Amino acid sequence: MLKIDKVSKSFGGIIATNNVSIELKPNSINALIGPNGAGKTTLFNLITGKINIDKGQVFIKNNNITNLKETEITRLGVARAFQITNIFPSLTVKESIKLALLAKQHGLNNMWDRFITHSINEETENIAKLAGLTKVYNTISSELSHGDQKLLDVALALALKPRVLLLDEPTAGMGPEERWKMIKKIQDLWEKTKMTILFIEHDMDIVFDIAQKIYVLQQGAIIAEGNPSEIKNNQKVIKAYLGGGKK
Amino acid sequence: MEFFALLDCIISPACLISQTAGGLKIAMLLFLVASGLTLVFGVLGVINFAHGALYMLGAYFSWQVMSITGHFGLSVILGALGVGLFGLLFERILISRIYNSDLLVQILLCYSVVLILDDLVMIIWGDEFLSSLGLPEIFQVPPLFIFDAIIPPFHIAIITISFIVATFLWFIMAKTKFGRLVRAAAINPKMLEALGVNTNIIKAAVFMLGSFLAGLGGALAASLGSVVSGMGNSILIESFIVTVIGGMGSISGAFLASLIIGMARSFGAIAMPLFTDGLMFLIMVLVLVLRPQGLMGNKK
Amino acid sequence: MPFLKKDNFQRDALIGVFVWFFLIIFYHIFPYPGIHDIIQKVFILGLFAMSLNILIGYLGLIAFGHAAFFATGAYTLGLFLQSNLVTNFGGFSIPIAMVLAVIVSSALATFIGIICIRLKDIYFSFLTLAFQMLIYSIILALVDITGGDQGLMGGFPKPPFLGIDLGNPFDFYAFTIFISLITIIMLRQLIESPFGYGLRMIRDNSERPASLGFNNQRHKLIAFIIAGSIAGLAGSLQALLDVGAYPEWAFWAKSAEPLFMILLGGMHSFLGPLMGALIFEVLNDFVTANTRYYGLVLGLVILSFVLGLRKGLLDWLLIKFYRK
Repeated sequence: MLKIDKVSKSFGGIIATNNVSIELKPNSINALIGPNGAGKTTLFNLITGKINIDKGQVFIKNNNITNLKETEITRLGVARAFQITNIFPSLTVKESIKLALLAKQHGLNNMWDRFITHSINEETENIAKLAGLTKVYNTISSELSHGDQKLLDVALALALKPRVLLLDEPTAGMGPEERWKMIKKIQDLWEKTKMTILFIEHDMDIVFDIAQKIYVLQQGAIIAEGNPSEIKNNQKVIKAYLGGGKK
Repeated sequence: MEFFALLDCIISPACLISQTAGGLKIAMLLFLVASGLTLVFGVLGVINFAHGALYMLGAYFSWQVMSITGHFGLSVILGALGVGLFGLLFERILISRIYNSDLLVQILLCYSVVLILDDLVMIIWGDEFLSSLGLPEIFQVPPLFIFDAIIPPFHIAIITISFIVATFLWFIMAKTKFGRLVRAAAINPKMLEALGVNTNIIKAAVFMLGSFLAGLGGALAASLGSVVSGMGNSILIESFIVTVIGGMGSISGAFLASLIIGMARSFGAIAMPLFTDGLMFLIMVLVLVLRPQGLMGNKK
Repeated sequence: MPFLKKDNFQRDALIGVFVWFFLIIFYHIFPYPGIHDIIQKVFILGLFAMSLNILIGYLGLIAFGHAAFFATGAYTLGLFLQSNLVTNFGGFSIPIAMVLAVIVSSALATFIGIICIRLKDIYFSFLTLAFQMLIYSIILALVDITGGDQGLMGGFPKPPFLGIDLGNPFDFYAFTIFISLITIIMLRQLIESPFGYGLRMIRDNSERPASLGFNNQRHKLIAFIIAGSIAGLAGSLQALLDVGAYPEWAFWAKSAEPLFMILLGGMHSFLGPLMGALIFEVLNDFVTANTRYYGLVLGLVILSFVLGLRKGLLDWLLIKFYRK
């Protein structure tokens, strides 16, 4: 579904991404792990078009999306949630999701209807339910708890009905219990929608529990890939993490 | 466009030299004021829309000292220092509240102060034009003749004074400990605070310096022309143009831009008498479109 | 009245009609030209301020040079009505002049918008200001056409149309308020439409829309053009009121006025700028009647709002009495 083919990127003289190749199978749930500074978010930025790729190509379902504009890549089916919550502070959950849905339908040029009563309210509720935000449906985004804000970030990405969903540290900033709740929600989501998911995560327990395939990134290069048991016993990975894992 | 008038002037040494001298005078005085503005922006991140009002205060203060003491040098120095002091109060009482506020708050706060000061000076000094400080005695001499161009020595003095101040400013910023602290504060104030430096003092000092420069400009302007409420408005606009063209926060950029604007005004007055100001704005538009960070500014 | 709670176009239109009739009756019950004058001015300046608030309040774009469009609308109307075309169009001259004012302002807004929208933050703000002052200089320089620093001299005819004679104070009053109310109602529809919420989305987070597949720049440009057009309309009404057009309307200080109104009334409520215009005009009238130091008072008022209330009056009132 998503194919990253020998992608490289450097900033100045520093190699941020080094010949990375990843192939995500449709309907799979995958994890991207690696020490801090390994270049995981950079890789996401390269895929979604926020920064330009120096070498290599990216395909989504055989469409070449290398170096297209961010808006085009999004329309071709790649959606993303961010590490630092990136939402619309003054708008409510309902309004935010509705905006995302309308954006997808090119409906934001509409000057003739009233946004509040505009048609797609049912769809908006469904997305909110999917992301587990029904309780806070009418809450203003800036007043949401950290966890709910992260869920909203995911919900906005879901509204695009993506083929590939990239989640950048969905559990960042959460305590252990909240983290499991969040990841269960993501797993739930995946089972309901069957989309292809790639998530960045630091908590190894979570990664080994949920992911079907794991990619390990270190200093911009993939040093290992495989299913959880393969990765658990991979010497290179163990060395790279030096016992890292539980936060 | 009066193309031939311009050509005639450039060909004639007298006109060329006198216009160049005039342009330099405008440029240096402008630089004095604009350097304060760009310094404050570069270090404090504040666009001081009241900078022109500080210039006006410099003129009024120095006029006041002159009417008491009759001594030119004293008037200029005390006038400028007075504005520096005023700037300190201004910074501590008002500006410090809006450091991280958005642009709209900054402009509204500063502009309200301009409105208040414009009326305050009228209440204190009356709404009539106040006569200029006049030339100090040393300069009450016949003008110099360079290639038939008439150059008042006092203008040369102004150019020299401004240039000296500019060099001084550069020296302080580039070579002294204070200058290093200021530049550090501009780049990373939090880090500086973590190292135990009281950035509040630095901020106040920088604002004082900027105000002093504006006041000095105003005091010198008072020697060239009359003093009146609202006289800061045109220099404010010009200082902005210079700051933007030169690069916000760059003193060397302000210097270069002041020269460009000074010359553009001087020769533009001949080439396009009805559109002289328009020429300045056209340059500003072109710079913002083609190189928004200014001639010497850094791309953020 | 549950009908009034329904937030839709029909309700707004009905309120508008009601307000218009109310103000007409008001005119006859309270025949004081001073008050009528204020009401007219409040609507004209309110339109100007509300148009700027599209950019400042809803889009988060701080445009410093908005008066450029106000002045352009005014001069366009004035120049048209001074020209020989008036004899050709006769009774339709004024409507045509106003439409022309809006068209020319939109064209200017398109040109300036395309260039300015590419820039961010203070650079955007300064470029809009630079353009405005450039236009100011051009107006002054083209003395033969615009009258230079004297403004459009010699006045212009105001031929009656559709039974409305703008020379008659009542007709002018009713007409101005009518045009203003229609514009306000349409503006409300725009702001409450998906397009309007798109604006809020960009204001809240200018990076995220791209990752939702949404093109910011086009949206911003359209909003900028609409804002400029309404400002031009306001300018044309002002020109009709003063039977002239003045270069001061293109000077940077004129752009500060709607900014003050937005501050005084509030940028987060739809009618905030209109209330701000009311406060501004009343303050203006009251203060200038009692002292010549209007700047001092205005400066102090603004200072207290910026430091004290920190929001406009209508915003503050709505929060106080409307918090769910």
